[in-house]
Amino acid sequence: MKLSRIPQQVIPLTIIFALAIVALVAARQMLVPESFGKYGHYRADAVEEVASHDISYAGIQVCNDCHDDIVEVKQESYHRGLSCEVCHGPANNHAEAPDEYTPGAPRGRGYCPLCHGYNPSRPVGFPQILPKMHNPGKACMTCHNPHAPTLPHAPEECSACHREIASTKMVSHHTTVDCRTCHTVPKDHWSDPRAVHAEKPTDRSTCGQCHATGADSPKIIPRIDIETHGGRYLCWDCHYPHHPEATL
Amino acid sequence: MPFTLISLLHLLTITAESHGFSGYMYPNEYELQWGLLIVVYPYLTGLVAGAFILASLERVFKVSALRPIYRLSLLSALAFMIIAPLPLLAHLGHPERCLEMFLTPHTKSAMAMFGFVYAWYLSVVLLLEIWFDYRENIVRWSNEKRGIKKWFYKALSLGATSVSPESIKFDHKMGKIITIIGIPSAFLLHGYVGFIFGSIKANPWWSSVLIPIVFLFSAIVSGIALMLLIYMITTMFRWKQISMACLNKLGELLFYAIMIDFSLELLDFIHRLYESEESISILSEMISNRLFVSLIVAQIIMGTLVPMVSLGIARFGRLPDELRRIVYFIAALLVQVGIFSTRWNVVIGGQLFSKSLRGLTVYKMELFGLEGLFMTILFLIAPILILFVLTKILPPWPSDEKAVIRDTEKVVTAK
Ligand code: HEC
Ligand code: HEC
Ligand code: HEC
Ligand code: HEC
Ligand code: HEC
Ligand code: HEC
Ligand code: HEC
Ligand code: HEC
Repeated sequence: MKLSRIPQQVIPLTIIFALAIVALVAARQMLVPESFGKYGHYRADAVEEVASHDISYAGIQVCNDCHDDIVEVKQESYHRGLSCEVCHGPANNHAEAPDEYTPGAPRGRGYCPLCHGYNPSRPVGFPQILPKMHNPGKACMTCHNPHAPTLPHAPEECSACHREIASTKMVSHHTTVDCRTCHTVPKDHWSDPRAVHAEKPTDRSTCGQCHATGADSPKIIPRIDIETHGGRYLCWDCHYPHHPEATL
Repeated sequence: MPFTLISLLHLLTITAESHGFSGYMYPNEYELQWGLLIVVYPYLTGLVAGAFILASLERVFKVSALRPIYRLSLLSALAFMIIAPLPLLAHLGHPERCLEMFLTPHTKSAMAMFGFVYAWYLSVVLLLEIWFDYRENIVRWSNEKRGIKKWFYKALSLGATSVSPESIKFDHKMGKIITIIGIPSAFLLHGYVGFIFGSIKANPWWSSVLIPIVFLFSAIVSGIALMLLIYMITTMFRWKQISMACLNKLGELLFYAIMIDFSLELLDFIHRLYESEESISILSEMISNRLFVSLIVAQIIMGTLVPMVSLGIARFGRLPDELRRIVYFIAALLVQVGIFSTRWNVVIGGQLFSKSLRGLTVYKMELFGLEGLFMTILFLIAPILILFVLTKILPPWPSDEKAVIRDTEKVVTAK
C-alpha cells in the first residue's frame, strides 16, 4: 500500500498506540523485578530476603538441649501440642546466650484466655472458661501448672468443657433437663475425655420419657405421638436437642 | 442529581432499620469487608455499559429516533467510565499499587485482569469512537476558535486535519467498526463484574451463572434510564425543544429492558427456590428481614414494577405529551433507585449471612472516611461534573438542533 493512501487519521493513532505499547513494554522491562515469576506469580528473591532475616524463634528442639526436664513434662501433658515460644515469646537470643537474655513468661491472667477464653467457634470439648468468673483475682498458674495443666480436680460441671452447649441449653426450653438425662457419661470422660467417650442418644425413647403421650412426666411438657410424629426420622433430625423449638 | 439524593435517602432508611446480629456468625463475618464503595462500582460500570449500548443502537442498528442523544450517551459513558474505577482504588487503600496489575498481569485471576478490561474499553472503545465521531467538528472548531482554544482543538485533532469527503467517510466507517467491537466489549465490561460475583462459589447468594447476564441487563436498564434523565434535564436547562420521538423510543426501550431484566431475576429467584439448597432458609430469612426494604420495596416494587407499569401506560396509552414526559422522568428516577438497590442487595446481601448458614449480621455504614457515605456521594456527583465539562469541550448538540429534531420526528412518524 502506498503511504499516501493510508487515511490521515490512522497515522497519529498508530503512533499513540505504539507509544503506549512501547511504554508498557519498557516499564515492564524496568520495573518488573528480575526474579519475578521464577517459581510462581511472585518475586523469587523475596524468598531469600525473608530467609535472611534474623531468626527470632528457635523452636522446641533447641529448648530441649537445656530444658529437657520441662520439655519432657510438657510432652506428656495436655499442652503437648504447644510450642514453648507460644507462651514465652521469641527466644532465639536466649537460646544463644542464656545468661544475657531471659525470656518472659505469661504469669498473669491475661494471656491464657487468648486460647481458653470462651468463644463459640472453638471445637467441641476444647477447655474454655469465662475469665471473669473463673477464680478471679488469682493468677492462672497458682492452680494450673502451665507445662502440665492437669486439672487440680475434675470439673464439677459439664459446662467446664462444653460451654457452648451448656449456655445454649441454659436459655432453651430444656434448661431444666440435666445433661445426664440424655447422655450416659462414664466417670473417666471427666478426666480423659478424648479416650473415654460420652454416649449420645440413639433412639426416640430418650425423648419419649418426657414427651410421649402416656409418659410419666410433668403436665406442662408438650406431648406428641411418639409413634407417628416426625415420621421415620430421629427427633434430633428436626429439633436441636440442646435448644428445641417447635415454632419458629 | 436527584437520583443520587434519592438513592442516598433510601440508603439511610435501610441502615436505620437494621437491627443487630442474630443467630450464629463466625468471628470474621461480623464486619463486612465490602462496603458502600463496592456497591457504587458495579452501579457506575453498569451506567457506562448501558449508555454505550444505547448509543450503539443508533449507530449500528440505525434506530434513528435516538439520534438526538447519540453523542450525549457517548460522553456520559466516558464521564462515568472515568470515575468507575475510583471507588475500587479508594477501597483498596493503596491506589498506587493498581499499576502492578499492568506490570505483572495475572491471567488466572479475573479481578487482576480488570486493568486490561478497563484500559481496552476506555481507550480502544470509548475514546476512539468519540474521537472519530467528533473529528470533523474538532477540525472545524480549531479553525473557528481563537487563542488558546484554537490550540487546544488543534491538539485534540492529533494533526489529522483533513476534512475531505473521503476522510469523513473513513471516520464514519471507523466509528461503525468500533461500535461493533464496542458492543461485545460493553458486554464484557459489565458481564465481567457479574462474573466476579458469580464465580465466588462459596457464597450461595452470588454463585450463579445467571449473575453476569442479570448484571448486563440491569446495566442496560440503568443506562437507558440515565440517558432519559440526562436528556430531559439538559434540554430543559438549555431551553431547547425536546424530541418527543426520542423520548418515546427511550421509554419504549426502557420498558422492554426492564421486562427482560425482571424476567431474568425472576428466573434466578424461582430457580433458587426450586433447587432449594441448604442455604435457602437463611437466604429467605435475609430477604424477609434484612433486605426487605432494599429488595422487596426499593428494588422490586419501586424500582421495577411501578416503572414498568407506568412506562407501559405512558408509552402505549393515550396520554398528552406533557404528562407523558413527567411519567417518563419519574419512572427513570425510580429505575435508578431500583438499580442502585440491586447493586446494594447483591454486594451487601452477599455478606449479611454467615457461611454457617445459621446467622445474619448487619452492615454499619461509615459517614466520613475513605469508604464512607460522603466519599460515595462524591463519586456519584463527580461523573456529572465531568460530563458538564465534557459537554463544554465537545458540545454534543447539533448547531441546527431544531432541524435535526424535526427530521427525527418526521422519519419516525413516516415509519
Ligand atoms: C544453652 C542452654 C539453653 C537453651 C538452648 C535454652 N535455655 Fe532457657 N535457660 C537457660 C538457663 C541457663 C536459664 C537460667 C537463666 C537464669 O536463671 O538467669 C534459662 C532460663 C529460662 C527461662 C526462665 C526465665 C525466668 O523468668 O526465670 C525460660 C522461660 C526459658 N529459659 C525458656 C527457654 C526457651 C523457651 C528455650 C527454647 C527456645 C530455651 N529457654 C532455651 C538455658 C537455656
Ligand atoms: C502454656 C504456656 C507455656 C508453655 C507452652 C511453656 N511455658 Fe514455660 N512457663 C510458663 C509460665 C506461665 C511460667 C511461669 C511459671 C512460674 O513462674 O511459676 C513458665 C516458666 C518456665 C520456666 C522457668 C520456671 C521453671 O518452671 O523452671 C522455664 C525454664 C520454662 N518455662 C521453659 C519452658 C520450655 C522449655 C517450654 C517448652 C517445652 C515451655 N516453658 C513451655 C508458660 C509456658
Ligand atoms: C496457644 C494456645 C494455648 C495457650 C496460650 C494456653 N493453652 Fe491451655 N490448652 C491448650 C490446648 C490445645 C489444650 C488441650 C486441649 C485438648 O486436649 O483438647 C489445653 C489444655 C489446657 C487445660 C486443660 C487440661 C484438661 O484437663 O482438660 C488447662 C487447665 C489449660 N490448658 C490451662 C492453661 C493455662 C493456665 C494457660 C496459661 C498459662 C494456658 N492453658 C495457655 C492451648 C493453650
Ligand atoms: C483457684 C485456683 C484456680 C485458678 C486461679 C484458675 N483455675 Fe482454672 N481451674 C481450676 C479448677 C479447680 C478447675 C477444674 C474444675 C472446675 O471447673 O471447677 C479449673 C478448670 C480450668 C479449665 C477447664 C478445664 C477443662 O478441661 O475444661 C481451664 C481451661 C482453666 N481452668 C484455665 C484457667 C485459666 C486460663 C486461669 C487464669 C485466667 C485459671 N484457670 C485460673 C482452678 C483454678
Ligand atoms: C474435662 C472436660 C470434659 C468434661 C468435664 C466433659 N466433657 Fe464431654 N467431651 C469432652 C471432649 C474433649 C469431647 C470431645 C471428644 C472427642 O471428640 O474425641 C467430649 C465429647 C462429648 C460428647 C460427644 C461424644 C461424641 O461421640 O461425639 C458428649 C455427648 C459429651 N462429651 C457429653 C458430656 C457430658 C454430658 C458431660 C457432663 C456430664 C461432659 N461431657 C463432661 C470433654 C469433657
Ligand atoms: C434432651 C436430651 C439432651 C440433653 C438434655 C443434652 N443433650 Fe447433648 N445431645 C443430645 C442428642 C440427641 C445429641 C445427638 C445430636 C446429633 O447427633 O445430632 C447430643 C449431642 C451432644 C454432643 C455432641 C454433638 C455436638 O453437638 O457437638 C455433645 C458434646 C453434647 N450433646 C453435650 C451435652 C451437654 C454438655 C449437655 C448438658 C449441658 C447436653 N448435651 C444435654 C441430647 C441431649
Ligand atoms: C426430662 C424430660 C425431657 C426430655 C427427656 C426431653 N424433653 Fe423436650 N421438653 C422438656 C420440657 C420440660 C420442655 C419445656 C416445656 C415448657 O416449659 O414449655 C420441653 C420442650 C420441648 C419442645 C418444645 C419446645 C417449644 O418450642 O415449645 C421440644 C420440641 C422438645 N422438648 C423436644 C425434645 C426432644 C427432641 C427430646 C429428645 C432429644 C426431648 N425433648 C427430651 C422436657 C424433656
Ligand atoms: C420431620 C421433623 C420432625 C421430627 C423427626 C420430629 N419433630 Fe417434633 N415437631 C416438628 C414440627 C414441625 C413441630 C411443630 C409443629 C407441630 O406442632 O406439629 C414439632 C413439634 C414438637 C413438639 C411440640 C408439640 C406442641 O404441642 O407444642 C414436641 C414436644 C416435639 N415436636 C417432640 C418431638 C419428639 C420427641 C420427636 C421424636 C420422637 C420429634 N419431635 C420428632 C417436627 C419434627
